[in-house]
Amino acid sequence: MAALHEKKSCSQRMEEFQRYCWNPDTGQMLGRTLSRWVWISLYYVAFYVVMTGLFALCIYSLMCTLDPYTPDYQDRLKSPGVTLRPDVYGEKGLDISYNVSDSRTWTNLVHTLHDFLEGYSPAAQEDNINCTSNKVFIQESFGAPNHTKFSCKFTADMLQNCSGLQDPNFGFEEGKPCFIIKMNRIVRFLPSNTTAPRVDCAFLDQPKDIQPLQVEYYPPNGTFSLHYFPYYGNKAQPHYSNPLVAAKLLNVPGNTEVVIVCKILAEHVTYDNPHDPFEGKVEFKLKIEN
Amino acid sequence: MGQKTPQIYSVELNGAKDMKQTDKGDDKDKYRGLWSTCLELRKNHHKEHVTKEIDLDDHKLSNKELENKYHTNIVTGLSSTQAAELLARDGPNALSPPQETPEIIKFLKQMVGGFSILLWVGAILCWIAYGIQFSNDKSSSLDNVYLGTVLALVVILTGIFAYYQEAKSTNIMASFSKMIPQQALVIRDSEKKIIPAEQLVVGDIVEIKGGDQIPADIRLLFAQGCKVDNSSLTGESEPQPRSCEFTHDNPLETKNIGFYSTTCLEGTATGMVINTGDRTIIGHIASLASGVGNEKTPIATEIEHFVHIVAGVAISIGVLFFIIAVSMKYRVLDSIIFLIGIIVANVPEGLLATVTVTLSLTAKRMAKKNCLVKNLEAVETLGSTSIICSDKTGTLTQNRMTVAHLWFDNQIFMADTSEDHFKQTFDQSSGTWASLSKIITLCNRAEFRPGQERVPIMKRVVVGDASETALLKFSEVVLGDVMEIRKRNHKVAEIPFNSTNKFQLSIHKTDDPTDKRFLMVMKGAPEKILEKCSTIMVNGQEQPLDQSTAEAFYTAYMELGGLGERVLGFCHLYLSADEFPETYSFDVDAMNFPMSNLCFVGLLSMIDPPRSTVPDAITKCRSAGIKVIMVTGDHPITAKAIAKSVGIISANSETVEDIAKRLNIAVEQVNKQDAKAVVVTGMELKDMSEDQLDEVLTSYPEIVFARTSPQQKLIIVEGCQRQDAVVAVTGDGVNDSPALKKADIGIAMGIAGSDAAKNAADMVLLDDNFASIVTGVEEGRLIFDNLKKTIAYTLTKNIAELCPFLIYIIVGVPLPLGTITILFIDLGTDIVPSIALAYEKAESDIMNRKPRHKKKDRLVNKPLAVYSYLHIGLMQSLGAFLVYFTVYAQEGFRPSTLINLRVEWEKDFVNNLEDSYGQEWTRYQRKYLEWTGYTAFFIGIMIQQIADLIIRKTRKNSIFQQGLFRNKVIWVGIASQIIIALILSYGLGSITALNFTMLRPQYWFVAVPHAFLIWVYDEVRKLFIRLYPGSWWDKNMYY
Repeated sequence: MAALHEKKSCSQRMEEFQRYCWNPDTGQMLGRTLSRWVWISLYYVAFYVVMTGLFALCIYSLMCTLDPYTPDYQDRLKSPGVTLRPDVYGEKGLDISYNVSDSRTWTNLVHTLHDFLEGYSPAAQEDNINCTSNKVFIQESFGAPNHTKFSCKFTADMLQNCSGLQDPNFGFEEGKPCFIIKMNRIVRFLPSNTTAPRVDCAFLDQPKDIQPLQVEYYPPNGTFSLHYFPYYGNKAQPHYSNPLVAAKLLNVPGNTEVVIVCKILAEHVTYDNPHDPFEGKVEFKLKIEN
Repeated sequence: MGQKTPQIYSVELNGAKDMKQTDKGDDKDKYRGLWSTCLELRKNHHKEHVTKEIDLDDHKLSNKELENKYHTNIVTGLSSTQAAELLARDGPNALSPPQETPEIIKFLKQMVGGFSILLWVGAILCWIAYGIQFSNDKSSSLDNVYLGTVLALVVILTGIFAYYQEAKSTNIMASFSKMIPQQALVIRDSEKKIIPAEQLVVGDIVEIKGGDQIPADIRLLFAQGCKVDNSSLTGESEPQPRSCEFTHDNPLETKNIGFYSTTCLEGTATGMVINTGDRTIIGHIASLASGVGNEKTPIATEIEHFVHIVAGVAISIGVLFFIIAVSMKYRVLDSIIFLIGIIVANVPEGLLATVTVTLSLTAKRMAKKNCLVKNLEAVETLGSTSIICSDKTGTLTQNRMTVAHLWFDNQIFMADTSEDHFKQTFDQSSGTWASLSKIITLCNRAEFRPGQERVPIMKRVVVGDASETALLKFSEVVLGDVMEIRKRNHKVAEIPFNSTNKFQLSIHKTDDPTDKRFLMVMKGAPEKILEKCSTIMVNGQEQPLDQSTAEAFYTAYMELGGLGERVLGFCHLYLSADEFPETYSFDVDAMNFPMSNLCFVGLLSMIDPPRSTVPDAITKCRSAGIKVIMVTGDHPITAKAIAKSVGIISANSETVEDIAKRLNIAVEQVNKQDAKAVVVTGMELKDMSEDQLDEVLTSYPEIVFARTSPQQKLIIVEGCQRQDAVVAVTGDGVNDSPALKKADIGIAMGIAGSDAAKNAADMVLLDDNFASIVTGVEEGRLIFDNLKKTIAYTLTKNIAELCPFLIYIIVGVPLPLGTITILFIDLGTDIVPSIALAYEKAESDIMNRKPRHKKKDRLVNKPLAVYSYLHIGLMQSLGAFLVYFTVYAQEGFRPSTLINLRVEWEKDFVNNLEDSYGQEWTRYQRKYLEWTGYTAFFIGIMIQQIADLIIRKTRKNSIFQQGLFRNKVIWVGIASQIIIALILSYGLGSITALNFTMLRPQYWFVAVPHAFLIWVYDEVRKLFIRLYPGSWWDKNMYY
């Protein structure tokens, strides 16, 4: 700004600049002689090398202090997040709508479910063991091969009607769609000690004119069996896969947008954090057109 | 007394009459110069420029013609109705106040200026960025809007603060200008009336007497012994006689015109008002000052330079990363947002406020030391001043005649001339002194105004001229109650001083009742007095005046005259009681008493002595590399004498004339290089070309300009500015205002200064004392050094705030530091510490180094920027990143996982993002972690800023030399940093809008080793600078 006020012609400025770039009298380029440039560059190289080295050393020692299996703090993960499949997001959160009679509107949704359940095929679950205990599966030792811990199998067929095996369209065709609910993994997290955590889906605000939501849960009761907990981290349980619950919504009113919330009911799972809409619950809008 | 002085000089300079004559001729041009515009002043000796003459011919008219012209009557005056009409037509007889800038303009001015512009640009860029984001995505974050608003708020609040500060000093100034309304004695409707001078109109007949200020430009119709002091108009301090004869074509030269605002010193006069208000000559001059542009203050230039650097850095980094972002396949729109973000991140939000507060703190400190700063930026100007052009009268001197030397018994005695001389230590036992003191006491018409018994003698108000006042005060101090002595020695006859006689005489009855003789006492121009004497008193005994005593007299006379002092001779005679019986009637017209064969008693010389603090101040200026130039309207000899006594001309330097005299050769033969000092008169200056003046200014370290007009002051100031000097000018008269404005810093005198001068000045010396300037210089230099430290401190963390954003763009880690958090650093934790640096004591004696070079010693130079940005700033960033990575790693995200996580991390619909342990995070959980990261980074910067603050205390000395605890305010600053951070993290940690979270206590200490590293690195830097001054290291690392 002020530079413009100085009374110098453009050619003068150019000349000055040229002189700055190369000053034949002193042999200076950009205000320094070549040797000075070398010196200053060397200094900076050395300085930055040392500083980078120090920083690397710090980071290295930080990494050394970390436990490879369990994070030091989990205060931000007190209660697991919950996700839903199929997941289509609108302006605000999950927003699923389709037309029963128009298969193009729901094939993608069905595809998502199929893709998702790919990871739950028997082949994918091969390395995991069968568990039936329905009790928390505490493993202090690394009993599994390669110094790991065992993970329990969860296969798609446990979702029965919503497994995509019997009904490849997951009920979308008939207006009774299946939604798969997944709870986020948290290392060494126990949703509850005795009773298995259970999914409960309902309308967010029960409309007066329609019946309460009727849901069929798979596995039965909509529970995540306790033997999938606790999770010991991806280093100890490289093949662990989250247990799932499928909810088949039986009486979604047609041609109206409804908001459905699926909560996880368990001792240590909270769903009332006002800031986090995905903590312990998942909300989604659903509109089925006939 | 004006007439007495030429004789004093005539001893030293033969033919002072001629000199006076030539001076007059020079004055003529000098006056004409008033009428050419001020900008052309430097050429005012070229005839072609002297065109615009004043159209005043009233001085040529006869009384009759005047009466006709102004429809008035010399005897009866105007009628009241006429006067009322004219008043309505011409307006009141007062100078219209200098055009006040409207308050709103003053206020708005505070908000534009170099630094504010930077912030405004930043704010606008923020809003533009938000506009782009919003048009793209309706739910985009409001951060940019907040940031822009905060930037705007900072400018506005700082503007209000600065405005308030300046308004405060303006108010202090205003209290000075409360003057008692002036009265004028006017003849209207054939009656003498006293009316406020404001109501005078042209044609009014006014009467003035000694002591009055002339209420308007008047043409004298009758004058008796009238003398005026035109110094406020011409700088000439000699009283000018006034009569009613037309003596010169030039209205400024002729004796029959008296000018508005000049003072009538003695005598009486009647005159007709010919010009009032702004149409008076002083009114014209006052309006000229507005034609001179105000110089930009050095600190404003420096801040502009700083803004250039910051803007340059911001734009280069911004553009560089814009290119990188585009080549990394970011969308162009996003890249533009990044560009804006980077540019805005470079704006030091808090600095404007800090600089303003720092300057006003110093201004406050200076005001306590009697330097009132009108313009905050002028605070620093004195510090960079390299030349001070100082007035003599009042600034360097006490502005009152004081007895300096006495000569009797063939000996010169020195009198004490300090401000409060209570003790006169010369030998008072001699009988000669008894006689001399009697003459001093009796042959004196000056009197103390009654009712001042409690006032110290030197401060009492006296009715009488300057010399008589000096003698009166002197005798009062030495002898005690003078009035009482005069009463006891009843005065029977008196001849007051007049210019033909050049002596003053009175005849008294003595206080010795047994002695019936009359005592005749006389004082006057020494050689005139000596002519009348045939005897001389030595040790109380009368001796015949022979050749050798006469020679001794002349030696003493020359010596005192050479000191620039005004010398008076004293003699007396006891009239024999036979010839002059008690009933003798003295007739002063017939002179029926002897006027020869008197007894010479002694000489007494007076000078306006320097203020006692001035020599010390001048020495300090000299050691501080500041050239002090005296510019005065006084006679060269007096000027030189004062210059010598205060040290402007140091004891061992000589002028060309001195050398010539010492070696007894012609002035032309002297090698000019040998002379260190020079006395240039206004007449010589008039004949100099610009180059010659430049040569004088550069080749002589000690310069005195004498007999200069206030206009020539402007030429001198411009000459100094051509040498790239930062020039301070002191002045008090209306005529000084152009020079005050032209100067880099104009310093007006608070007590003696006219309103116009104070208005044009940047600073007002409340005590009119030159020594106050020195404290101003000291404060100015200190503030410059400390501002450097403040800026270095502030710039450092700028990099630490910018790096996260750059890493975020390039490496794709979750944003380490949010916009709002940055604001809390810049406007929260960092404010008090950076102000605290203003309290830092000087590292070394700042008064022992040269003033900074206006173009070389910048406030923000390359080493400062480079060292702050690339050394300390970088170390800080690394330290803060360490805290950031620690927090993330301990929560589950190892650094390797974070790389390129940005896109997934920021997706609102990814609610199961996996960390390094396989845990899955919802968006909000991640966001909370991100805020924890912000807080961690914030704490990291804060901790290291403490180290930065400590290292910035000094630029060269070790912290341990400076003392860690000497500046307590620094510790207040550190405490404030920590407390604010604690409040933000723990107090407000739960308010999500502020993006702060409660941070684990141990994270506060992660950056501590880095803080120590910064300290150690800087100590090493300083050590090498001290060890190898001038080395490669010194050049690159010392800022």
